Amino acid sequence: MTSTSNDTLRDSTDSARHLWMHYARPRPHWYTLDETRQKGLNVTWHEIRSQAKQQGAVFQGRFHIRGQHDFETVDIWRFPSSQHAYDHWQALVNAGYSEYFAFSNSLGLDTGETA
Amino acid sequence: MDNLTGDTQVFQSDDAAAGRACVVFTAQRQDVLPGVYEACHRDAILEVLASLEQEGWVLSQRRLFDGAAPEAAVALDTGFTHSHDIAGIFEAPNLDAALEGTIRLEQAGWARRFATEWMIGLREFAPIMGKGEHHDHGWAFIALWEWNDPWCEATPAERDAYDLECDEAFQGDLDHSVNITGRSRLDVGHHWHHIGYWEIPDPDTADSAIRGHERVADFKFTTSRHIVGRVRPLSQLIQPA
Repeated sequence: MTSTSNDTLRDSTDSARHLWMHYARPRPHWYTLDETRQKGLNVTWHEIRSQAKQQGAVFQGRFHIRGQHDFETVDIWRFPSSQHAYDHWQALVNAGYSEYFAFSNSLGLDTGETA
Repeated sequence: MDNLTGDTQVFQSDDAAAGRACVVFTAQRQDVLPGVYEACHRDAILEVLASLEQEGWVLSQRRLFDGAAPEAAVALDTGFTHSHDIAGIFEAPNLDAALEGTIRLEQAGWARRFATEWMIGLREFAPIMGKGEHHDHGWAFIALWEWNDPWCEATPAERDAYDLECDEAFQGDLDHSVNITGRSRLDVGHHWHHIGYWEIPDPDTADSAIRGHERVADFKFTTSRHIVGRVRPLSQLIQPA
């Protein structure tokens, strides 16, 4: 990667310097819900993620990690602040997400180093 | 700030502390190699701690019970019974200050001395004094816990009944003269959901109090980790070898 393209990449995330990593796996009773109920909840939680993006968060992807981890997926986010990350998480908690998915979260701050 | 569960007879929301963050740490001393961690690093850490105090941090949980208590940072000496050597809790003005403060400490020299797990969260419930003041605040007990799958599957009525049962145990803790610095939530940055910090006269008090929690089946709905330690000035605990 050239320094120019690297700088361009960094420009898109400079206002979102706070990392939020979210590890998740379904709790057992998630599997007892019928498909309609699961879909309904997923739509609600997806809307919350969309709202976070509209408020400045950058979603960098969901990755499957079950093969070598206690959790099934990890979501990588960048937020303008830790408080923004908290607000997003609390919206998910209010929408019942944490009752159906076990989780482990991490907060981090961009070191400013480039690749 | 939102609390993960509602107020109980023992625990009340701490509206005055809205937005205030907690910084929890467990740390293990690293191998001593010549020149890696010296007096200059300790002094740099102490300078950062002094700055944090000026910026509104609370570095001694004793100050949550007694605003006239010394400001100097304290931590638990835990190496005699835990894999980590020290543990402790600070309060920061907000989440972002909390995260940045841990990095400032690490970069001042903390990282040269300790391998540390930092846990950052937000205050929920207000401090509560135990019945009957005890005068030796030299011991403390930290509880980290998370609700398990059965709690998540339980109905609101089952959770309310559980909270009432746990309140009996917490009332028992207060009867043991335990002072509790309320409750903070850690779920935004960890797998633990909560932390509680108790001042206790001695480790036996923690053991006795936890038996009370077992009696009301506190642990049917939680996974927890408990840390007991002697409270000492942090300046002593970060001395070079």
